[in-house]
Amino acid sequence: MTSSFKSIEENLKAEAGKLLESGRVEIVLAYGRGYDENHPMPFVAKHPSDVANMVFNEYCIHNLARYLVRYPRGTKIAVAVKAADCRAVIQLIQEEKIKRDDVVFLGIPVYGMKNPKTGEIIDSKTTCGMYNPVLYDVLLGEEVHGQKIVSPYDVLADYEAMDKEARWAFWKKEFDRCIRCYACRKACPMCYCDPCFIDQSKPRWGDKSPQSHGNLMYHLTRFHHLAGRCIDCGECSRACPVDIPLYLFHKKVAKECEEMFGQAAGMSIDDKPALVNFRVDDSDKILE
Amino acid sequence: MSRIGVFVCHCGLNIAKTVRVSELAQFAATLPDVVVAKDYKFMCSTPGQEMIANDIKQHKLDRIIVTACSPLMHEQTFRKVLAASGLNQYLLTIVNIREQVSWVTHDIEEGTAKAKALLNGAVYRARLLAPLTSRVIDVNPDVMVIGAGIAGIQAALELANTGKKVYLVEKNSTIGGHMAQFDKTFPTLDCSACILTPKMDSILQHKNITMLTSCEVSEVKGFVGNFDITIRQKARYVDHGKCNACLACTEKCPGKGVSEWDEGLVKRKAIYIPFPQAVPQKPVIDRDSCTFFKKGKCRLCEKVCEQKAIDFDQQDTFIQVKAGAVILATGYDLMDTKPLIQYGYGKYPGVYNALEVERLFNSAGPTGGKVTMRDGREPQAIAVLHCIGSRDKNNSEHCSRVCCMYSLKFAHLFKEKTSADVYQFYIDMRAAGKGYEEFYNRIIGEDVKFIRGKGARVAQSPDEEGRLIVEAEDTITGKFIKVPVDMVVLSPAMVPRADSRDIARLFNLSTDKQGFFMERHPKLAPLSTMSEGIFIAGVCQSPKDIPDTVAQANGAAAEALTIVVKDKMELEATTAMVNPASCCACQNCVRVCPYGAPFFNESKGVSEINEALCKGCGLCASVCPSSAIIARHFTNDQVLAEMEGLMEF
Repeated sequence: MTSSFKSIEENLKAEAGKLLESGRVEIVLAYGRGYDENHPMPFVAKHPSDVANMVFNEYCIHNLARYLVRYPRGTKIAVAVKAADCRAVIQLIQEEKIKRDDVVFLGIPVYGMKNPKTGEIIDSKTTCGMYNPVLYDVLLGEEVHGQKIVSPYDVLADYEAMDKEARWAFWKKEFDRCIRCYACRKACPMCYCDPCFIDQSKPRWGDKSPQSHGNLMYHLTRFHHLAGRCIDCGECSRACPVDIPLYLFHKKVAKECEEMFGQAAGMSIDDKPALVNFRVDDSDKILE
Repeated sequence: MSRIGVFVCHCGLNIAKTVRVSELAQFAATLPDVVVAKDYKFMCSTPGQEMIANDIKQHKLDRIIVTACSPLMHEQTFRKVLAASGLNQYLLTIVNIREQVSWVTHDIEEGTAKAKALLNGAVYRARLLAPLTSRVIDVNPDVMVIGAGIAGIQAALELANTGKKVYLVEKNSTIGGHMAQFDKTFPTLDCSACILTPKMDSILQHKNITMLTSCEVSEVKGFVGNFDITIRQKARYVDHGKCNACLACTEKCPGKGVSEWDEGLVKRKAIYIPFPQAVPQKPVIDRDSCTFFKKGKCRLCEKVCEQKAIDFDQQDTFIQVKAGAVILATGYDLMDTKPLIQYGYGKYPGVYNALEVERLFNSAGPTGGKVTMRDGREPQAIAVLHCIGSRDKNNSEHCSRVCCMYSLKFAHLFKEKTSADVYQFYIDMRAAGKGYEEFYNRIIGEDVKFIRGKGARVAQSPDEEGRLIVEAEDTITGKFIKVPVDMVVLSPAMVPRADSRDIARLFNLSTDKQGFFMERHPKLAPLSTMSEGIFIAGVCQSPKDIPDTVAQANGAAAEALTIVVKDKMELEATTAMVNPASCCACQNCVRVCPYGAPFFNESKGVSEINEALCKGCGLCASVCPSSAIIARHFTNDQVLAEMEGLMEF
């Protein structure tokens, strides 16, 4: 049984109001009206009266974990999280960017979110494909059961069938289209570096104009900075104005990390970030 | 504009054989900012050093590149030349064209080309080098010695006699180690206890030694000169401060445990001292065999103890110790011979391992020094099998070095204590040591039967109950032989302690293939390790006999002294620093640092680095996603410039 978007919206408003009124949190990160029904926007409620402006519908795709790190450390924040969004918050807790006690998870179990650009239902092809948040303080709808469980890595089959040359050609073609708007970086909850390496001038890690070389440097480095950290929400790919399938690379790296270290990003607040945590039983495969 | 001098070393023919050194110097002269480039046969020799010093003056050089051997060998030598000439020592670059070039190729074209590429990178990097100032830190004058066998005891006494304070850490309840288990020692056959127990007693009496028994290292922080070590003292359930060693408790105790000291040949009480001369002479309770801990009732020891020293509520305690240097003398385990099923150890009661036999000979051992077997019989024929697991590519490839000699010692003692025939099954007889060959000749004269051939199999005799058959190929006659005996003694390989890899991890040491601790250099630095301030002595480094172990212990003590004898020491200036404006607060640096140098400053919201702890390894800089960390002497600019230089080739 899946709760209707309307009932989730009502629950969201009610819970947000309670949390703000009681002073449990200073801020609620949720969704508000955009320029039309199909384009709701991230919305910050700071006062109980703000909650009337909240909405929730199938186009509320944004990963609000992105906004958590914008507030000073120690700010009490409630955040509306769908499955992947929830994993992003957990990953941020693992990375000690935020503290578990400072966040209230408003969990949203949901099926049938739609990409406003295409109207297609968002599934495991571009995201982690989970339906229910792995961790929540309040659940705003009934848990989703009975939907088909598809591995988020199934979509990699065609990509993995390509040989080295074909992959290189594929990415070169894709990256050549990049206009360096950095929307992927802006949408990503794990891209919180300020300044980003690519914006630095001493040393200059890569060309800043949208040219082949710099594009490659930017994307490949970003992929590696997200290794073991990407929670596969697919926001980068949806934010991309030229539709580069960034999710493919992220999924491939995530799959290898999971195989190597036996842990997927953002699944438990007790995990340690895989790539900066040494365990005696770590795989040596990487050295082979 | 910098003024660079390039000095190319031939290292005799070591380098000149596979790198055209004069061509390399000519090439260097064409590189940007290079003012002078020369080659010379031995740059590290006094004339070589003088040449560099003169050129610094004459050409007003401000960067020096020496293309020679590994910086591990001569970086300090050339730094001193720079310092004496008034240049900052960090303006030196060493290009390793020996270990990394000439020794890894036979092709002079290939070698010269690679040397040019490395040199080109070094010139690019040298131009960006900055002068740095070394740090001076206080040195803790105390030393910690871990493991109180003969190696640890010797090192601790030597150091304590120089007036230094020593912490001697031992995981057992008594010091002494394996040597205390032996009866006689080869080749002189002097009594092991007679030469060891005076030293054990000196440890107890010495005012400069703090003995920490039942203790294990649980955490190591800090660095050379300032180690901060956490010791876990296991609960002994006896307050050693109150106990007066009357040992009434051990008499009354009904508990029975297997005596580790007697290699499991007999039982001991649950509250016990391992052997009569144990130091400290205080009992401990073994939880696993104690009736009270097993059944919740008994406490007889508590009732008989007049000193009220028994404390069943005792917990493990943690002791913090600071030391300037550490000596590891953690010893060895005897290889478990049970998996070598062809020898029947653990299956036939007549098969013994070497340490069990040591206990049989010992007058304080389970049989009071009489050679009687598990079934009470005195053996009529005994086979001693050398090289069990040693020199065996399926087990331990190394030679355990002491087995030949102690096997000969066994032969002598068997002859002395029994009327048995004694057979030695050996591959080669290795008697390299002072008095060892003479000892071998002496035993040959004692009617011991030597069979040159490794014992292949031990089997039950089909005819006689309790008799064993040793099968071997006698390689002198080329015949396959079967020898019936009553008792078989295995001389197993000496292997690293089961927890040696854990210890290595605690102290950042590497281990060899077997798990023995790696020395810094097999010939020239056999007692120091790649972790500065950590020294090794005894069998934890490789199998050796008591004389070698004692010599190593003395050497390690002297090496440790070179550190703690000074109040201050200079540390490398090559540390990391954080540019707070770029720090993204991901704390990756905090997570990856093996030395605990970076920490997160909550109030500033950025990472910072404790330079006293930083070893300049650069891990933090490499995981910093926003490149906020600058590794001094290896800054991003410097490394990228070097790579650019390399890639021009």
